[in-house]
Amino acid sequence: MISHYLIVSAALFAIGAFGVLARRNLLIILMSVEIMLNGVNVALLAFARLHGNTQGQVFVLMVMGVAAAEVSVGLAILIAVFRNRKTVDTGDLKSLQG
Amino acid sequence: MPPIDPVFLIAAGVTVGAGALVVSLRNPVHAAISMLAAFLGLAVIYLRLGAPFLAAIHVLVYTGAILVLFLFVIMMLNLKPDELGVEYPLKIRIGIAALCGGLFALIALPLLQDHRELPKQAPPGFGTVESVGTALFNEYALAFELISVLIMVAVFAGVLLAKRKL
Repeated sequence: MISHYLIVSAALFAIGAFGVLARRNLLIILMSVEIMLNGVNVALLAFARLHGNTQGQVFVLMVMGVAAAEVSVGLAILIAVFRNRKTVDTGDLKSLQG
Repeated sequence: MPPIDPVFLIAAGVTVGAGALVVSLRNPVHAAISMLAAFLGLAVIYLRLGAPFLAAIHVLVYTGAILVLFLFVIMMLNLKPDELGVEYPLKIRIGIAALCGGLFALIALPLLQDHRELPKQAPPGFGTVESVGTALFNEYALAFELISVLIMVAVFAGVLLAKRKL
């Protein structure tokens, strides 16, 4: 049944959202974003299978491309932050707080 | 109600369990290894959904590139236990967990009314390299080009940000 797949998708999205909101380690936050993107991928593939339409699978490829770009830039920012501030804790990064 | 596909059930359990471990473990190396389990479970789910090509690409891109990149950065930073940062107090985390549980319930509860079955047999050629490639390079050629620009910009950004001195 399609709802099983969509429930897994919703669970992954909620887990990722929890990771982004509740953790303060930048590495874990980036991993959580990956989990959220994968949850969306499951939903796209489930609907592609339901309608017998390949377009959903094409969009999963797009999401994977965006995820790869996002993680490479994110990790580069993380390295730059760690080099300058010696921390990966988002609670310590408040120079923009005014 | 028909029985749930056992392969899907195991893969979904592994994926969701490993995903929960990723967001709860403190050591980033352990979290990355849990993410490996989650990604492999996801690949099985993709196979059950009739997408063998995407399952292969998923394993290649996520476990082959993204996860290795994470592990590489973790080892490059070489964080000591006291450099991992302070987490929010337990009360705040429980509050956020309740919020995300609410989000999940908001999506999942209406789905319990959805009894649509997936078609027993996917249309011929569904999910093969040929059909995905045909759609990608005909209808979505512009999106494909834009993704390539995005990835090129990401390469430049990665070099620019991570380089100590240009």
